[in-house]
Amino acid sequence: MHTHVWKQIRDREGGRVHANHFANRIKSYRTSQLQLANHKDIVSPHKGAINSLQIDSTEGRYLLSAASDASVAVYDVQRSASAASEAAAAFSKHRCLFVVDKQHRQAHKYAVSTAIWYPIDTGLFVTGSYDHHINVWDTNTTQVVVNFKMPGKVHRTAMSNLSTSHMLIAAGTEDVQVRLCDIASGAFAHTLSGHRDGVMTVEWSNSSEWVLVTGGCDGAIRFWDIRRAGCFQVLDQSQTQFGRRPPILKRSTITKDSSTKMRGTQKKHANGSGSRQHPIGRVPSKGPMKQRLHPGMLSTQDRATAHYGAVTGLKATEDGMYLLSAGSDSRLRLWDVQSGCDTLVNFETVRLQINKPLQLATTQDSTLVFVPCMRSVKAFDMWSGNTYTILRGHYECVNCCWFNQQDQELYTGGNDRQILLWSPVRSIDDEMGEGPAEDQDSWSS
Amino acid sequence: MSIWNYVVTAHKPTNVTHSCVGNFTSPQDLNLIIAKCTRIEIHLLSPQGLQPMLDVPIYGRIATLELFRPHGETQDYLFIATERYKFCVLQWDSETSELVTRAMGDVSDRIGRPTDNGQIGIIDPDCRLIGLHLYDGLFKVIPFDNKGQLKEAFNIRLEELQVLDIKFLYGCSKPTIVVLYQDNKDARHVKTYEVALKDKDFVEGPWSQNNLDNGADLLIPVPPPLCGVLIIGEETIVYCSANAFKAIPFGPSITKAYGRVDPDGSRYLLGDHTGLLSLLVITHEKEKVTGLKIEPLGETSIASTISYLDNAFVYIGSSYGDSQLIKLNLQPDAKGSYVEVLERYVNLGPIVDFCVVDLERQGQGQVVTCSGAYKDGSLRVVRNGIGINEQASVELQGIKGMWSLRSSTDDPFDTFLVVSFISETRILAMNLEDELEETEIEGFCSQVQTLFCHDAVHNQLVQVTSNSVRLVSSTTRELRNEWFAPSGYSVNVATANATQVLLATGGGHLVYLEIGDGILQEVKHAQLEYEISCLDINPIGENPNHSQLAAVGMWTDISVRIFSLPDLNLVTKEQLGGEIIPRSVLLCAFEGISYLLCALGDGHLLNFMLNTSTGELTDRKKVSLGTQPITLRTFSSKNTTHVFAASDRPTVIYSSNKKLLYSNVNLKEVSHMCPFNSAAFPDSLAIAKEGELTIGTIDDIQKLHIRSIPLGEHARRICHQEQSRTFAICSLKYNPTSGEDSEMHFVRLLDDQTFEFISTYSLDTYEYGCFIISCSFSDDNNVYYCVGTAYVLPEENEPTKGRILVFTVEDGKLQLIAEKETKGAVYCLNAFNGKLLAAINQKIQLYKWVLRDDGTHELQSECGHHGHILALYVQTRGDFIVVGDLMKSISLLIYKHEEGAIEERARDYNANWMSAVEILDDDIYLGAENNFNLFTVRKNSEGATDEERGRLEVVGEYHLGEFINRFRHGSLVMRLPDSDVGQIPTVIFGTINGVIGVIASLPHEQYVFLEKLQSNLRKVIKGVGGLSHEQWRSFNNEKKTVEARSFLDGDLIESFLDLNRSKMDEISKAMDVSVEELCKRVEELTRLH
Repeated sequence: MHTHVWKQIRDREGGRVHANHFANRIKSYRTSQLQLANHKDIVSPHKGAINSLQIDSTEGRYLLSAASDASVAVYDVQRSASAASEAAAAFSKHRCLFVVDKQHRQAHKYAVSTAIWYPIDTGLFVTGSYDHHINVWDTNTTQVVVNFKMPGKVHRTAMSNLSTSHMLIAAGTEDVQVRLCDIASGAFAHTLSGHRDGVMTVEWSNSSEWVLVTGGCDGAIRFWDIRRAGCFQVLDQSQTQFGRRPPILKRSTITKDSSTKMRGTQKKHANGSGSRQHPIGRVPSKGPMKQRLHPGMLSTQDRATAHYGAVTGLKATEDGMYLLSAGSDSRLRLWDVQSGCDTLVNFETVRLQINKPLQLATTQDSTLVFVPCMRSVKAFDMWSGNTYTILRGHYECVNCCWFNQQDQELYTGGNDRQILLWSPVRSIDDEMGEGPAEDQDSWSS
Repeated sequence: MSIWNYVVTAHKPTNVTHSCVGNFTSPQDLNLIIAKCTRIEIHLLSPQGLQPMLDVPIYGRIATLELFRPHGETQDYLFIATERYKFCVLQWDSETSELVTRAMGDVSDRIGRPTDNGQIGIIDPDCRLIGLHLYDGLFKVIPFDNKGQLKEAFNIRLEELQVLDIKFLYGCSKPTIVVLYQDNKDARHVKTYEVALKDKDFVEGPWSQNNLDNGADLLIPVPPPLCGVLIIGEETIVYCSANAFKAIPFGPSITKAYGRVDPDGSRYLLGDHTGLLSLLVITHEKEKVTGLKIEPLGETSIASTISYLDNAFVYIGSSYGDSQLIKLNLQPDAKGSYVEVLERYVNLGPIVDFCVVDLERQGQGQVVTCSGAYKDGSLRVVRNGIGINEQASVELQGIKGMWSLRSSTDDPFDTFLVVSFISETRILAMNLEDELEETEIEGFCSQVQTLFCHDAVHNQLVQVTSNSVRLVSSTTRELRNEWFAPSGYSVNVATANATQVLLATGGGHLVYLEIGDGILQEVKHAQLEYEISCLDINPIGENPNHSQLAAVGMWTDISVRIFSLPDLNLVTKEQLGGEIIPRSVLLCAFEGISYLLCALGDGHLLNFMLNTSTGELTDRKKVSLGTQPITLRTFSSKNTTHVFAASDRPTVIYSSNKKLLYSNVNLKEVSHMCPFNSAAFPDSLAIAKEGELTIGTIDDIQKLHIRSIPLGEHARRICHQEQSRTFAICSLKYNPTSGEDSEMHFVRLLDDQTFEFISTYSLDTYEYGCFIISCSFSDDNNVYYCVGTAYVLPEENEPTKGRILVFTVEDGKLQLIAEKETKGAVYCLNAFNGKLLAAINQKIQLYKWVLRDDGTHELQSECGHHGHILALYVQTRGDFIVVGDLMKSISLLIYKHEEGAIEERARDYNANWMSAVEILDDDIYLGAENNFNLFTVRKNSEGATDEERGRLEVVGEYHLGEFINRFRHGSLVMRLPDSDVGQIPTVIFGTINGVIGVIASLPHEQYVFLEKLQSNLRKVIKGVGGLSHEQWRSFNNEKKTVEARSFLDGDLIESFLDLNRSKMDEISKAMDVSVEELCKRVEELTRLH
C-alpha cells in the first residue's frame, strides 16, 4: 500500500477523502511502519519477566506493567519526567512513576501475572498474582482498596470497556471455574462453570458488556452471558463453513422442504449468537430464539474444542465481530463471533509459548494482529494470515503485547525483563547539526 | 477570557453532495431536491427555471438522500440518513408548505467498524426495503410493511470486506442487491444477493462477475425492461445481467456522478473528474441489450451529482466548483459542445485557505478564499455588502447629476429620469414597451447642466441651472415661471423640496425661494462670508413638503451650518476641522431620530444627531467610507428610508436599533444615485457609474457578496502583503491528460485590485507549495513572502526534504532572496519575534535572519522542538507557540529568549486529530478536529502541580458538523467603534463545504442569557425529521459523545427572528424577557456576520 502522508493531508483538506477514512489510512500507514522506537525508551524497573502490559484507554497515557518479581509499575508514556530539561531533545526516557514491589507492605508475594486499569479512569488498577490474590489498588495512594482471595494462581483478569452497569473483574485461574469479582461489593458475583481445566485467558466482548469469553487449558473457548446460567456457545475448530450461502440455483432445484431444512440447520448457530447480539443490536429478540438459549446446547457441542491443548490467548477485535485465539498447539485461529465458525485463515505461526498466557494485540482496524512468538513478535495480516513483519528485539521469550491505538505504538514485554516500544519511523532531522558548535546527535546514527 | 463562544454561519454550505428529482411537493410538481451536506433545498421546476421552495438545516451530515414512492402513493417521500446513524422519512405538507416526518430512527450498531468508503443507503425499486451499508461486514435492512410503514431493522452479514458500491437490481421478484467489492488481492468483482426478508439473511443471487476493471467504482442499476447493471470503471464500462454481458472501452476517466436520462434507462449522463459530461447509451432491440455507446457532450463543473430534470435541462451539483443548470442542445456549438450553461450557483467549497484583508482600509474585512479544486479552482472575494440587481443599463458618459420626476404630484411612480451632463440635460422616460427612451420636457432648459431637479406641489417640476430656476407644469410640461440669478452671478449649488428651493451663487450668496402654484417667490437672501459648497433642505419635520431647517456646507472655514427657514438665521455652526471641504450635506431621520450627515471630499463621513427644534448638533461621529468625494441621497426600500453615499466605495447608511450602520454596496464606483420608482422597475435605483447608467433593485442589507476569480488551477494557500498591495498564492495545475501525478506547482503573485497574475515562480519537479506568509525580520525593514515547500517523491511515503523560500516583490516581480533546505515538509510558517518559525514534519524549528558579510541574508537555525507526530498547524502569540498536531491535539510551547530554546509548557492529552488551531487569547486556544468538532482548551498557569500546569484543560466542546481548514482572526462586517458588537472578538473559519463561519467570544453574562434562549428555542424549533439539536451539537468522536459546552449555536439562536409572533411570545414567556428585548439582543448578534 502506498500512502503518501502529505497527499493524504491535501486530499483531506480538499474534501477528496472523508476525514474518518483519512485517519484510518494514516493509522494503518503508521502501523505498517513499526520498528524499534528511536525517540522514546521505557526504563523497566522489573527484575523478573514482564507478564502483562496495558495502557489506559482514557488518555492513552499511563502504561501499567506486571512482572514475575511480584512487582507492578506505572509509567507516563506521553510525557517524560525530565521533559523540561530535554525539551529540545528528540529522545525521551520514561522511568516509572511508581513501582509496587516486595518492599511494599501490600505487594503480592509471587509473580504478578496480570495488571489492568479500571476502564473508566486511572484512579484504580487491578492486579492478579500467583499468590492466589487479586488486588484492587488506588493509583494515587498505591494502597489496596479491595482484595479477592482466589482458589489458585491467577492467570488473567479482565474488565469490560463497555460496561456502564457493572464493575466486574473476570478472573481466570488454575481453577476450572471462572470467577467474577465485583469491585462494588468486594465479593464474588458469579462463578462460571464449564471448563474442565484451569482458565488461562479471559476476554470481554467488544459488543456487549454482558458477554465474556474464556479460554481454558482444556482447549475450549466458551462464551458466557453473565446474566444467565451456563455458557451459550463453545467454539468448535471443526466448524468452518463460514459465509456459505445456499446458491439460488440449488435452491430452485431442491424441493422446498429440503431447502428450508437446510436453512434451518444453518440458522441454529445464527440464532444462538444472534440473540446474544440482540440486547445491544437494537433488534429485539423474538420469543422462539430465546428458548434455544439455555440450556439447549447439545452435549456434543459442549465438548467442542478450539485448540488442541490449552487456549493461551484471546483477543476480540475492536469491531466486535471476530475473536482471535492462540493455543499451545502453536495455532492462531480467527473466529467469526456471530456464527462461531473458524474463518480458516491460515496464520503462519512457527512456535508459540505453551505454558503461559499470551497477551495478543490488534490494530484498531483489525488488519494486523501482534502475536508473541517466542523471542520475537509477529505481525500477521488478519485476513490472509500472512506474516506482515517480524519485530525482533527481545532477548528472551515475549509474553505480552499492547497496541496503543492512539499513537499506533506497540509495547512488548518479555522474560528478558525489558519493555520495548515499537513505533512508526520518525525521521531524525536535527538541524542543529548545522550550527557551528553542535554536532549530530549521538543517537541518530 | 474567551471561553464563552458563539458559533454562527455567515455563509451557508454550498457544496452539493446529493441531488434527486421527483414529484415531492405534489403529484404534478417536478422537484429538484439538493443536499448541501447539512442543509436540504427543495426546488420546483417551472417554465421560469428552478424556483426555490424551501431551504432548511438538517441536524446531521447527510449521508443518503433518496426519493421513493411507497405503494399506492401519488407522490414521493424523501429518505435521509445522516453520518451519525440517524435516519428519517419526510413528506411534504402542501397546506403548511412544511416537511412532515413520517418515520425516524437510529441505525447505529455496537458491532462493526464504520465503512471507509462512505455510507451507502439504497431503496428497493419495488419499495420492499431500505438497505444500508454503514459498517464493514454488515448490511442493514429496514423492511417496509404492506402499508408502506417501516418495520424493525435487522443486520445481515456481508462477507465482502471492501465494499465499493451496492445497488438494488430492478425487476427482481425478490429484492436483490448487487455488490461491487475488492478482494484481498485488490481485484474487483460484483456479486448478487437476494434478501430473504423472512430468514433475515442473504441467498446467493442470480449472477456474479469476477475480475472487473481495477478502477470499477460505480454501479448503475438499469430499470425495466432491460434490467441488469452498468459497472463503470476507469477504462471500461460493462453492462451485466443474468443473461448478457457487454463491455466498451472508455476513458481513462474517473466517473464521479451519473444521472439517468430516460425512465426506461437506455441513456445516462456521466460526469468525470475533469468536468467532462458524457452520454452513455445502451443500445437494445426490444429487451435485448445489443451494445453500449458513449459520447462526450461537453464540459461542466466537476460534478458530484447529476440530476436530469426535463426537456434536456440538467442540474449539475458540484463539490469543487459552482453548481450549474445546463441545457443539452441537439446541435453542438462552435466548440463542439452540446452543453449550454444556463445558470451558475455559487459554491465556495472546498475552502482550503483564506485570508482576511481590508483592501480599502476602511475597517471592513473581506475574506479571500482559496476555493474549488482542479480546473474549477478559484479565488473568491467574500464581502459583506449590499448587492444591486441590475435591471437595465445604458452607456452614458459624463453624468453630472440625476433626478427622478413624476408626471403628476399624486402619481405613485416616477416617470422621468433627468440626467445632467456638463453642457446639456437629457430626459429619459419609460415608453409603452417599458423601455427607457429619451424624451423632452419643453419647459426645461436642456442645453445646460442641471444643478438640481425636484417634484413640486401643484403638479409642477423645478429645474435649477446655473443661471435660473424654472418652474414647469408636469402635465403640460410648459414653463410656468422662472427666477433668474442676478447678472454676474451664477448658481453653484442648489437644492429643493416640494415647496422650497435653496440655492447659492458665487460670492457666498444664499437665496431662498418658495414655490406656489405657478409662482416662484424669492423669500430671503443672505450673504455668507465664504463660498458655499453644499446645501440641503430635505424635510425631516412633520410636514413632508416643507423644511424648517437648512444645512449648508462652507468652503474656507470648513464648517457646516444650520439655518432656520424661511428667515435664513444662523442657528448652529459646526467647525469640521481639517482641510477637507464638505461636499454633500443631508438632513435625514431614521427611526424617528434626526441626523445631519456631512460628507467630505476625502471620503469621510461625519454624522451628528440633530435637534430639530433647537438646531443643535450633538454626538459627532466620523467614519471613513471611501477616498473620493461622497454624494449623499436618500432612498427607500421596503418602506424604510436609507441613505446612499455615492463614491468610490458606495455605501448604504441605515439604522437599526437606533444605531447608524454602514454597509457596502457591491459596485465599484458610483458617481450619482437617485431612486427611480417606475411602474416597470418598482423600487429601483438609477445609478451612474463608469460611463454607464444602470437601473437596478437593491438587495437586503447585510448580505455577503461574492466575487469569483477563476484561476483554472487549484490555489491551496493565500496571503496578502499590504506593502506591495499583492496577494501571493501557492497553487497547482493538474495535467489531466497524464494522470494525477503530473502536477505543476507554483508560487504566484497577484495584484490585490485586479487579481491578475503578475509574477510566477515555478517550483521544482515534485516540489509542492505547502504554506505561505508575508513577514519581516528583525533589523531589516523589508517585507518578504516566505514559502514552505515539500518534495513529494513518488518512492517516499513521507517527505524528507523541503525548502523555505524567501521572496521580495520588486517591480511587481517575485525575487528569490534566500532559500533554506529543510529535512521534511514545511507544513506551517509563522513570523515570530522577528524570526521565522517553521513546522517541519515532527519538529518546530526557529530560524533567525542573518546578515552575511556580502550583504545578503540567510536563514539560520536557532533552535527547535521535537515531540510531535506531525506539527501541521501552528499559531503564535508573544513567546507562546500553539501547535495543532496531526493526531495529538494541541500543545503549548514557549520560546525562552535567554536560553534560545523552545520548551513544551502544556499539552492536551486527548487524541484529537487536528485540522486547524487558533489562539483566542493568552489562555484559551481553539481547535478544530477530524470528526467535525470544535473545542477550546485553557492554559492552567496557576495549577498546583507540574502535572496540572502541564495539562491543557478542555473547557469547551461542540459539534460543528463541518470540516474546518482554517481559522483567522477578523471580521466580515465593518467594526464601528460605536456599536456593542464592535467590542466582541471574532474568529472567522472556512470549511470544505464552503461555509464561512464566525466564532465570537462573548461576555459571560451575555453567554448565560443566550444559553437560556438556546435551550428554550430547542423546545420550540423542532429539527427536520425529528432530529435532535442537542444530539447534533454534542461533541462526538470514536471514543466519546458528550453534550456541547461553552459553545452556542448562533444559527439556532438567530432563527428566533424568523419565528412567528406566537412562538416568540412563548419563548418570551419562558425567558421572562419581552419579545422586543429578545429581538434586539438577537439582532445585535446578527451584526457579527
